[in-house]
Amino acid sequence: MRFSVYILLSFLILSCDNEQFDSESYEDIEESSYNPVFLELEIPSHFPEPTYPVENNRPTEAGFELGKKLFYDGKLSSTGVISCGFCHIQEFAFTHHTHIVSHGVNGALGTRNAPPLQNMIFLESFNWDGSIAHLDMQPIVPITAEVEMNETVINVLQKLQNDPEYVEAFNKAFENGEIDTQNLFRAISQFVIMMVSADSKYDKVVRNEGSTFTESESQGKAIFEQKCASCHSGTLFTDQTYRNNGLPIDSQYNDEGRMKVTGAEADKYKFRVPSLRNIAVTFPYMHDGRFQNLRDVLDFYDGGVQNSQNLDAELINSDGTFGIFLAEDEKDKIIAFLNTLTDDDFLLDDRFSEF
Amino acid sequence: MKKLSILLLVMFFIITISCNSEENDVNPGIVNINFNNKVGNEILNLQQGNYNKNGNETFSVDELKYIISNIVLIDAKGNEFVYPQENSYFLINEEVSTTKRIALQDINANEYTSIRFGIGVDQSRFPLNGVENFVPTAEENNMIWSWSAGYIFMRLEGLYSSTQVTNTPFKYHIGSHGQNLDNYREVSLNFMQPLAVSSSENAEIDINFDVLKLFSGEHNMLLQNKDDVQIDPENAPKIRDNYTNAFEIGLN
Repeated sequence: MRFSVYILLSFLILSCDNEQFDSESYEDIEESSYNPVFLELEIPSHFPEPTYPVENNRPTEAGFELGKKLFYDGKLSSTGVISCGFCHIQEFAFTHHTHIVSHGVNGALGTRNAPPLQNMIFLESFNWDGSIAHLDMQPIVPITAEVEMNETVINVLQKLQNDPEYVEAFNKAFENGEIDTQNLFRAISQFVIMMVSADSKYDKVVRNEGSTFTESESQGKAIFEQKCASCHSGTLFTDQTYRNNGLPIDSQYNDEGRMKVTGAEADKYKFRVPSLRNIAVTFPYMHDGRFQNLRDVLDFYDGGVQNSQNLDAELINSDGTFGIFLAEDEKDKIIAFLNTLTDDDFLLDDRFSEF
Repeated sequence: MKKLSILLLVMFFIITISCNSEENDVNPGIVNINFNNKVGNEILNLQQGNYNKNGNETFSVDELKYIISNIVLIDAKGNEFVYPQENSYFLINEEVSTTKRIALQDINANEYTSIRFGIGVDQSRFPLNGVENFVPTAEENNMIWSWSAGYIFMRLEGLYSSTQVTNTPFKYHIGSHGQNLDNYREVSLNFMQPLAVSSSENAEIDINFDVLKLFSGEHNMLLQNKDDVQIDPENAPKIRDNYTNAFEIGLN
């Protein structure tokens, strides 16, 4: 009886769907070098939920390593020498340290200061004007910008397809092994997803991990919360809005900010409220890098804010003046507090370093 | 023994059902969609013609491209056959005749009564559903604003004359404006007669797109008022409304 059951069953299965059991799929399984080892992504307890759908692109060891290789590879540019890491230097929270506006191929100058890369999975949109809504699509901007990498996505894919190292790396990182746009961007995202910075002194104080603020840091925090935190709010130190903070219009660039994205006059001169994490090491400051240090920034808010189209209401005082009044010792204390936002563990984390 | 018989019966039943779904249906077929770009009743000719449009303006077309996506076929009962989203992005380029005929493979055999498709790319939803792999095509055809990675859904360029100007360039590039303005729209069209799809014969659909309706549908677009519409929160949605209604079934 048992024997006939098996015969009958196997007959039914065979007659049912041959395709699922053909030899090709066995070969695929045997030859595949895709053996994902998933990386652990810890969301800090005092952070919001990620906006990035991590479950759709869970970082693996191979995907992360591929993303890192791509991030530091000049192949992504037309001249072969400008990598993502050229303008995003880890020690400075992945900014273009000391460069007012960022540089690209053949010494071309951009119009904006490279923003830091950290905690990107918590952001709703990217770039100073919020032109990108999905982290995976972000690489298109620097790759294709004439003043950055001045390359096409088509060429980048071709270069990678012709490189045996990348063929192997994509095979390890993705199940289908394709060197296509989706996998290219997802690999870069896997590298960036892991860039969570949440171990500054500030974080350790907030999480009661034994650190305490000095008196001036503590006073600085109170002043900050009173005078700065309406925009630089929450644990990310940004409310992720776009505002005109009253910078004098630079006639060289005449950068219209978010209006470029929306076309709306109401968005003219508005730029993203940046996070202040690692702010002490990300100089120069503002979208065009016009200020060299934090003191200059605070001096600007204290006495340099100009009334231009769409000036943010938070910066218009009831007596008709503009800006945020700050006494000199208040500035010292705010800077002391901002210095507690530097996360050396992140800035020196071996996982992200080029060499 | 009784238990075994029941088990055997249940297994037999399950396996039979799983086989049956294929045995009962005819095998999947191919649906070809031909996009015919027109000016009123005439076939559009690039760089030729001096077509009359609303507002006593005349125009010729140098370039017409648009993105078709998210194709769904629907039968009389409302059952939907959703074409795999990651393969569902097509660039229609008037200049390249092969792009105007798209072949959809592996369509479930059925009688369909209507079609729904998107104009442009729906980027509002996560995940991206393979739309990243459309980047090279879009890049090659200048259908992406690379500084925002935003797709251009509809691109129309040419020359126009009005009472005030002669042979002046115009340019409509319509897409979504970041997250601020979503210009992705879907169109539903009823077939003239049910579309039978099976492996035994390829089904053909003709869809006409009328450039005149892009200028004068719900909104009256005058080139003299604005001949360069790109990231334009006032005019882009109007052109979008117009072109969304500029598609119709020609033949099926």
